[in-house]
Amino acid sequence: MNLRSSMNPPEEISVRIAATQQDVSNPEAPAADRRRFDAENLTTLLYPIVFGVLILILWQTQVLHRILGADTFTLPLPGRILTIIADNAPEILMNARATAIVALTGLLFGSMLGYLLGVIAAVFPKWGIGGLTVVSAFNAIPIIAVAPILNNLTKDFSRDADTRSMLAKILVVTLMTMVVMSINAYRGLTELKPYSEDLMKSYAARRTDVFFKLRVPNSVPFLFTALRVSVPGSVICALVSEYFAEYIVGVGRQIRENIVLAQYATAWAYILTACLMGILLYAILLAAEGSLLKGRR
Amino acid sequence: MEPNRKQDSNRLATFVWVLALILIWELGATLVAQTKRTPENVLPHLYQIVESVFSTKLVNGSQTAFQIVLANAGITLARAGIGFMLGAAIGFLLALLMNLMKTVEKIAFPYLMIIQMIPILGMAPIVLAVTKDIDKSRVIIAAILTFYPVATNTLAGFKAVPGEKLELMHVIAASKFEIYRKLLIPSCIPYFFTGLKVSAPMAITASILVDTLQGGGGLGTMLSQSLKHAMTIYVFWQIVFLSAIVGILSYHLMSVIEKLAAPHRWARKVKLDEPAQLDEPA
Repeated sequence: MNLRSSMNPPEEISVRIAATQQDVSNPEAPAADRRRFDAENLTTLLYPIVFGVLILILWQTQVLHRILGADTFTLPLPGRILTIIADNAPEILMNARATAIVALTGLLFGSMLGYLLGVIAAVFPKWGIGGLTVVSAFNAIPIIAVAPILNNLTKDFSRDADTRSMLAKILVVTLMTMVVMSINAYRGLTELKPYSEDLMKSYAARRTDVFFKLRVPNSVPFLFTALRVSVPGSVICALVSEYFAEYIVGVGRQIRENIVLAQYATAWAYILTACLMGILLYAILLAAEGSLLKGRR
Repeated sequence: MEPNRKQDSNRLATFVWVLALILIWELGATLVAQTKRTPENVLPHLYQIVESVFSTKLVNGSQTAFQIVLANAGITLARAGIGFMLGAAIGFLLALLMNLMKTVEKIAFPYLMIIQMIPILGMAPIVLAVTKDIDKSRVIIAAILTFYPVATNTLAGFKAVPGEKLELMHVIAASKFEIYRKLLIPSCIPYFFTGLKVSAPMAITASILVDTLQGGGGLGTMLSQSLKHAMTIYVFWQIVFLSAIVGILSYHLMSVIEKLAAPHRWARKVKLDEPAQLDEPA
């Protein structure tokens, strides 16, 4: 029973995929095709689940260990990981909350700033493109280089170690998500359908009209492209920035601490928690994208 | 259009932005220098970092700070490079398989997303336990990080081929192989390179991150040692700048390879890297 409940999130995602695929392949979905789509949906759900269950069975029966040459100490059995999660639920939840706050706050600020930058670059291309080139260079800077710098810079922000660590971590996520969003926002605001801008001009549309009625709607799919990168990215940034943070809290930090202490089973419990968090956020994003972009693709 | 003048003005804009960033850094450094007892730990002046690169003072008995950084960078980057190439190849093949066979796509797609969620450092000990070799685990983790963006982007490239083009290929009775060779694979190349551009810096990040987990050589090991003040803090600052520069260069290296691989597309396509081609709304 426990094993099956851990399979729920992929199920949720594949439902979303099935839904979007259906939208793409057939926007009208005639009633005659209903049954074919049901079969399609079923296999979309079934195949990954069967595959996952197979891996889990191999794992629990230790066949996987033999294939990989691992032992149950470094690769604990799924049952044991779940027991540890159940036993330490309040502590794990507390750490998960800290990580989620960092990831989501950073994502929010980063995406808003990034979109703003994209807008500025699209409105003032002369200076904006140069700025975006510089910003996109940030994309290539490893997080591990940024996290300790921001950590040192925010030392004076508050006397409470938790608060100032939180700020440093949020800043790391903000920086990283901002870059992704700004580049995609700029592309969405400028890569218009051929002649659509000329059409607007032939209507004698004002620049503000072109902006709000053509550019902004055009940028929405690009916005989701950016989020598809930055939602998982924000979780990973949060996890990595926790490694360097002063205050010991968060899922990422617990993974590291437990590995250092050679408590692999507990580390695995936190790894699973991190995976579930990422999957949950991604599922929410896909649901939002599915409902907002309905009929647009 | 005067492409040369436009390009120049864009270069100028970039240059001015870089200058502005340097100015902000220096202002911050000046402020920190006045308020902190050990300003080099928080935000040193840029010239101090440059100075430390050229300093001939031996830091650990036999090497200067910059020699340490370079020697360790070689170790880390070699692993990142091998992992990157492996990951790119696997990613492309998987995308191809997913597009060829619906079943593979259905099985693999949800897991492709989940792989991205697994924190890399968490996977390091398990990979280490399997391979019993820190070098191999660095390569494998860099490969895993590369493989995901490449696979998803390439798959998106296959899906983005307009239906009319596919229909045309069917109308002229092109074989499946021909469709892939002449339509699908050429049109997914820009997407493939997008994936490479995303993952090249990530592979480097992964390699450095795995370094921090264990002793031995590598940029990550030196970074954490320097942060713990086991050696001069300027080793840390040099690594920060070196990893940033290498990350950026790796991105541009992919653009250069893309240009060489698909020059005709490059000529027409509007790209952010090539601001000269962007049209200003007149």
